[in-house]
Amino acid sequence: MTLILFIVRKLGGAAAAMLTVSFLVYLALEVNVEDVAVKVLGQFSTDAQRAAWLTANGYDDPFFIRYGRWLWSFVTGNWGDSTYYRAPVIDLVPDRLAASGILAGGALLVMVPVGLLAGILAGMRPGSLIDRAVSLLSIVTTSIPDFASAVFLSAVFVFWLNWLPGASTMLSGFSLSEMVLPVLVLAFYSTGYLARVTRASMVEVMGTHYIRTARLKGASPARIVWRHALRNALITPVTVIMLQLPWLLSGVIVVEVFYAYKGFGTLLYDAALNSDIRLVEACAMVSVLVVVATQILSDIAYGWLNPRVSLLEATMGNK
Amino acid sequence: MKDLKTNSGKPLHSSVKDLVEQVRSGAIDRRSFLRASAWLGVSVASASAFAGMKGEAFAQTETPADGGKLRFACQIQELTDPMLSSWIEASNLYRNCLEFLTYVDADNITHPYLAKSWTPSEDLKVWDFELDERAKWSNGDAFTPEDVIFNIERWIAPDSQSSNKTAFSAVEKVEKTGDHSVRITLSRGVSSLPEQLYSYTCPMVHRNFVKDGGNWPANPIGTGPFALASFEVGRQAVFNKRADYWGTPAHLDEIHYIDMGTDVTTHLAALASGQIDVIYRASIAEYDLMKSLPNIQVLKANPAHTLVMRMQVDAKPFDDIRVRKAIQLAADNKQMLDVAYRGEGVIGANVHVSPTQPDYFPLEPVARDVDKAKALLAEAGYKDGLDIELTLGNTQGKWEQDTAQVLQQNLAEAGIRLKLNVLPASQYWPVWDKVPFGLTYWAHRPLGSMTLDLAYRSGGAWNESHFASKEFDAALDKAMAVVDPAKRSEAMKEVEQILQDNAVIVQAYWPSRFCATSMKVRNYKLHPADYFRMDGIWLAQA
Repeated sequence: MTLILFIVRKLGGAAAAMLTVSFLVYLALEVNVEDVAVKVLGQFSTDAQRAAWLTANGYDDPFFIRYGRWLWSFVTGNWGDSTYYRAPVIDLVPDRLAASGILAGGALLVMVPVGLLAGILAGMRPGSLIDRAVSLLSIVTTSIPDFASAVFLSAVFVFWLNWLPGASTMLSGFSLSEMVLPVLVLAFYSTGYLARVTRASMVEVMGTHYIRTARLKGASPARIVWRHALRNALITPVTVIMLQLPWLLSGVIVVEVFYAYKGFGTLLYDAALNSDIRLVEACAMVSVLVVVATQILSDIAYGWLNPRVSLLEATMGNK
Repeated sequence: MKDLKTNSGKPLHSSVKDLVEQVRSGAIDRRSFLRASAWLGVSVASASAFAGMKGEAFAQTETPADGGKLRFACQIQELTDPMLSSWIEASNLYRNCLEFLTYVDADNITHPYLAKSWTPSEDLKVWDFELDERAKWSNGDAFTPEDVIFNIERWIAPDSQSSNKTAFSAVEKVEKTGDHSVRITLSRGVSSLPEQLYSYTCPMVHRNFVKDGGNWPANPIGTGPFALASFEVGRQAVFNKRADYWGTPAHLDEIHYIDMGTDVTTHLAALASGQIDVIYRASIAEYDLMKSLPNIQVLKANPAHTLVMRMQVDAKPFDDIRVRKAIQLAADNKQMLDVAYRGEGVIGANVHVSPTQPDYFPLEPVARDVDKAKALLAEAGYKDGLDIELTLGNTQGKWEQDTAQVLQQNLAEAGIRLKLNVLPASQYWPVWDKVPFGLTYWAHRPLGSMTLDLAYRSGGAWNESHFASKEFDAALDKAMAVVDPAKRSEAMKEVEQILQDNAVIVQAYWPSRFCATSMKVRNYKLHPADYFRMDGIWLAQA
């Protein structure tokens, strides 16, 4: 019951967020009617053609009526046609979203085990050699932006060693070797970040009284970590992982464009570059949806890991 | 003389005699002779034998191998009506299926294609084209004079938005003169008409193109050696060899054009790792990387392509010729070449005709004179300097912006504060002809007069500077009617001089052009206009 209430409330918040974003997106892209006609019909269209198109598509109506109509079409699944791809927008988005999902999944598969393990190992014995090595490495990886690590990894693995393919178009089906570099670049930054957060959290937990008690009781280090420390130490890292999800899906434009990976990021990039209004609108809305959905999931996971956080309180406000 | 033959079997045009005398006396080189005589319908084989070239340009040392799949990295852009395309990359896709009346090779020599011969009248105003009776559309229809008439009339129709409208503005009439023959009547003599028919916006589409929806990828009927199998904007386009092609069959079985985005480094990475075989273009920024890669061949050429920083002569403050002249005088063309393109090219003289074009007249470049520029600005009322904005889109790469930044420094010395408005490439094309001061990339044209005709003739669809001068138009008409290469270059002197005197453009340099292929790609030549015909390409067997 609590969970349902929580979800209902969160969904309400998500709907409000999406409504706000939809209005801003529509305002930014469609307030200038003349521009819309040029973008849809192309630069070679004549003024008469543009005027006719605007009238035929209801652009003579006031802005709010157009916005309402657009919103309704969007909600009912009529996302319009892409002017650049010459295809219905709704046909383009799912495939690309799935492709980015695969990339993000790959990155998570590397980032979560490696980041957590490195963080836990480092946090178990602060000041040890492992701790120093992990801290140094994670500072290095989090300091290098993805566009730089993409160039660096390509230089090493493609141009120098010739081990991996340089582009990840996946045009002839799924290819594991094409996945390696984009996944590595994405994981490069996030893994270091996750390791640092986990380490800090672990150090904090390892210093608590109940861990000291367990130690005095004579429990083995493995048992201490596994049974007592881990669950509490994981609360912050899980939040970090959940926060990475929307970034992995919509913030990977740089990596996707660099490796010519045909995912959601390149779709949004091409749409923006080619002033493909309907597609930009849809991509923006989908991005917001991904962000709010992962936030809800993150809250649920947080509640599960830390029973002291009551979903009911989170739902009704902590008063 | 008697060894020279026309493709049509008709007598030689009287100008051929002059050409023969000139090549004998050394006034023109053998290639110029070949080019000019080909315009007049002389067979290239007979002309090259006559000039003692023995077809060297076409000699092959390796036996072509059939079969295989070639992968070509280039942008897959939106494409609907070929005559309206403004991207040469897009034209290379339909070039596999759609053919042209003539074919201009990488050496700028015109050959028969869908038209097997042509015969100009003495005054070069009436041109009789004989079509190849074997030519067939992929839907089984024969290629007929009706197809030619449909295409040319559509290019020049009053409501046509095609750049062909300007390029073929001299066309008065296109008529059928036989089952396989067409006559094109011009209002003024144009000697290079056959060459112009290979412009990338001039492929022959089926006579029912408009009736069938006017969308080529949706209904990809063509006469060419390949058939379009799939076309996905932003992803890939696939072409398969046609077994029922009317002409000489292609070597390759399949061509896959793959969109790898705009970053050439990615294209090179894909080439280095064997994912693709050809990259469409690389710029100076990638030159060193390209040269360092093993197992790829780097191709380099000097086509007549360039950056033009043009000022709209009817927009403030450029409507004052003193301002335009001051900008030209303050610009350091050599520095732009040296800094922005590392000296890999040739300095321009602000006339938009390249030394590699046969009709080029070597005009004195505008000498840099900052003091004079300042004086002119003061005279024009800008004693305290001038604020202007240059719009550009890096459509060919970052070197466009690098060039503009050098200009910015140059102009600052004369008190001109130049602001750069850098747009994404795709957002530059919608405004390229609208901004008062813009930096536009102009692709190669075989002749300087062709570029000038498109870009500077009064009222032309692609006249982005809005330059309008009756003297210029008349001088250009005169030059375009001359067949004789030496005389044509002489006639271009006046054309170039008018353009330079009017200070319409800063055209700093002619950059070299680079691209690369894997070692197994054979017979791939860097066409100066980037027109890549793929039926002669093959892959060496491993």
